[in-house]
Amino acid sequence: MRKPGAALLAGVFLFILLREPAGARTSVEYAVKAAYLVKFVPFITWPDGVFSSSSAPLTICVEGADPFGGSLERAAQGQRDGDHPLAVRRIGASDPATSCQILFAGGAPDNVAAQIERRKAQPVLTVTDSGVARGGIVSFVVIGDHVRFDIDEARANAVGIQINSKLLGLAHIVKKNGRP
Amino acid sequence: MILTRTRFGLSILAALLTAGLLVAAGLLMARYEDQLYGAQQLKDITEQARILAASVAAAVTFDDRNAAQEYVEALAVNPELLAAGVYDSKGRRIAQFVRSGASLPEREFPGFSNGHLDVSVPVAQGGQVLGRVTVRASAEPAQRRLARYAGLVLLATMGALVIAVLSFSQVALTRRAEELARVNARLQLEMAERRKTEEALRQSHKMEAVGQLSGGIAHDFNNLIMIVKGNLRLLRKRFDTAGSGAETYIASAEEALNRAAHLTQRILAFSRRQPLSPKPVLLSELVAGMDELIRHSLGEKIEIETWLDAHWWTRCDVNQMENVILNLAINARDAMPKGGGLIIHTADRHVDKTPPGVIDFVPGDYVALSIRDTGQGMSQEVRERAVDPFFTTKPLGKGTGLGLSMTFGYVRQSSGYLVIESELGQGTTVTILMPRTEAPNV
Repeated sequence: MRKPGAALLAGVFLFILLREPAGARTSVEYAVKAAYLVKFVPFITWPDGVFSSSSAPLTICVEGADPFGGSLERAAQGQRDGDHPLAVRRIGASDPATSCQILFAGGAPDNVAAQIERRKAQPVLTVTDSGVARGGIVSFVVIGDHVRFDIDEARANAVGIQINSKLLGLAHIVKKNGRP
Repeated sequence: MILTRTRFGLSILAALLTAGLLVAAGLLMARYEDQLYGAQQLKDITEQARILAASVAAAVTFDDRNAAQEYVEALAVNPELLAAGVYDSKGRRIAQFVRSGASLPEREFPGFSNGHLDVSVPVAQGGQVLGRVTVRASAEPAQRRLARYAGLVLLATMGALVIAVLSFSQVALTRRAEELARVNARLQLEMAERRKTEEALRQSHKMEAVGQLSGGIAHDFNNLIMIVKGNLRLLRKRFDTAGSGAETYIASAEEALNRAAHLTQRILAFSRRQPLSPKPVLLSELVAGMDELIRHSLGEKIEIETWLDAHWWTRCDVNQMENVILNLAINARDAMPKGGGLIIHTADRHVDKTPPGVIDFVPGDYVALSIRDTGQGMSQEVRERAVDPFFTTKPLGKGTGLGLSMTFGYVRQSSGYLVIESELGQGTTVTILMPRTEAPNV
């Protein structure tokens, strides 16, 4: 009985050791996703009037749980879309998110569904994470070792957002607009 | 000939010049087309690279190598493209397509090298450079392109050669035509000459025939005259005719017979049947001896000059020669009814060329005796018939038409030649050419 603490300690160590690769993998995955959020920008065209001024920042908002841990800020660092510098902001559920152009809905699947539902009518490119119900205009999926994404073009068009065909061509699944 | 050669040179020069121009034009065209072709290919390949760059923009951005690879491999349908590579913003290659035997371009600037055309185009989206696409296409090497245009140059050269050959043959034809014209002219001349000779020969035969005929008649006629003459003499002897009027009749009959005998003598002279007694003579001396006689015969209206330059000997009947000279002098006088000049000229001459109007001429040394007047001359027609017996231009009763005929017959009988040169209004020159003989031993 002298050793249960040690055993527990060993168990914790083992857990940490086992967790480490998983954690590392997670952080790499989200670094990629953060980069993707920034890289989407050139392929997206927002409707007129989403920017308060011609030099207003293009804001990537993260609602709910933030899985990026600073990698999103690093990815957006110094990036611009035309005259608009890229900015990252974390918002709460009560935030109207009127200044957001991209919204990453984080957190549990239930929360995400509510977050998406709330922004449904806004000209915001909603992005949902893999592993949750797909509800955003863009949904990340992980296929094999690669991060890919689905695109719901119909929903994007419904709020006046145009998605470049090159991006659509790269998407894993595209929900087409009503067009034949 | 000089003209022909110059024209020939000019033609060749023109042909060569044309050839040079054609070749130069061909080379210029080839060069221009080559440049055009190069520029067009650069444009085409750059356009294809741009399309690839646009297509792979998203794939490069999101590092989707499979998608990028699909786009790159779509280029393989163009056989002109040898290789293509897609690089992301950090320069990592994320997709490539390389045909066997080819390699990816390493250079980042476009251009032709080593049979390749390399093009590099940035991948951009929304003003951001996301990566780079490089494409390598096969370009024909300069030599092969030149070989392609060599055909054109060859064609131009052939064309020029054809022109050269044509102008050469043109010149040759012109030359040949000129030669033909020259030969034709000579032939015409020879034909005219031959016609003249034939005419002279015909004339000679005619004279021969007339001579023989009239000679035969004259000979027999002469015998008859002799018989009549002899009988008249016997008549006078046997009968005393002195007192009666018969003497008058006999005398006039004898006179008529004498005239007839004289006429037959002249006919015999023409027919070369008169008895001649040739001996060596110096014509200059002979003429000098006749000076007084000639002056007396011609009268004061005619100025006479004698140039006596002949020193060679010849052989002829002196009495007949004197008759001939006197006869010719009187003819000359008759040609100058209003007076004029007469030149009697003797000279030693070596004659090679047949004198006009003479046939059967033997070249050699001759003593020439010319009698030249300043009279009215003769037309060609008259000149040709001048020696015909009984042909005369004198009024009826004034001449017998036997003077020149007799002269001709005498000269021919003496192995000489009679040359008559005359132009209407230019006077007449009658020349007797007597063959030179050795000086007699004194």
